Amino acid sequence: MTLYEKITTLYTELTDADFAPDTGTIMLQNDSDGKGDYIKEWNHPTLAKPTQEQLDGVQ
Amino acid sequence: MSTVKSKKLQVGTDANSANNFTIYQPATPDGTLRIGVGNADNPTEVGQFNANGYKPAIAPAFSAYNNGTQSVSASTDTKIVFDHENFDTNSNYDNATNYRFTPTVAGYYQINTNVYVANFGGSWMRIWIMKSGSASSEFDRTITAGQTTLNGSCILYANGTTDYFEIYIRCQGGSTVQVGANDANLMTFNAILIQQA
Repeated sequence: MTLYEKITTLYTELTDADFAPDTGTIMLQNDSDGKGDYIKEWNHPTLAKPTQEQLDGVQ
Repeated sequence: MSTVKSKKLQVGTDANSANNFTIYQPATPDGTLRIGVGNADNPTEVGQFNANGYKPAIAPAFSAYNNGTQSVSASTDTKIVFDHENFDTNSNYDNATNYRFTPTVAGYYQINTNVYVANFGGSWMRIWIMKSGSASSEFDRTITAGQTTLNGSCILYANGTTDYFEIYIRCQGGSTVQVGANDANLMTFNAILIQQA
């Protein structure tokens, strides 16, 4: 399961608009350096940035 | 009419040798006329004329490709891996670690890329030509299903020291997609110096 899938499973109220470049508040990135996807920016007005423990717990 | 026979002709007599130029024939003649910066006793070659015209001593150009596939998570800005080279004239492209072009000559570069997306199911896609970590040019394609190729081309300035260029992709919505299709012609990234600064 990708980071995007984990986040949208954790917060089902999120939509594509929340991840949109320029206008969204959540930016995910992968620099192809072997470290995988990561949260580059989290500026959502009401939802807290998920902890690693929360992400790890999503099945 | 007079003829001056010499292997070297220094132009300029400034106390600072970097302000002078030397036009010369190499020690072993090879059909070229060399131009160097510095005094005649020790010029640093910047270019040469041969039967085909002018050839600069350093002219960064590279051509890279990916002949495999790469998985890209939905809605995640992802650097495209171009891990093979057709050529790299000045060893300025890193095809092993960062997949970036860091030209060592300041100037204006023509930069091109095309990226094949095999199985998209989201709302739109975008590729970026990134300069030193920031988007410089972006190219969008609206497609809701299927396969497509995104192309981008632009001219950007590089300072010759710290500036570098990379390609990123965003596949908005849907699920994980595959870019590339085991075909080197479908995934390319190349650039060439078109004018020195």
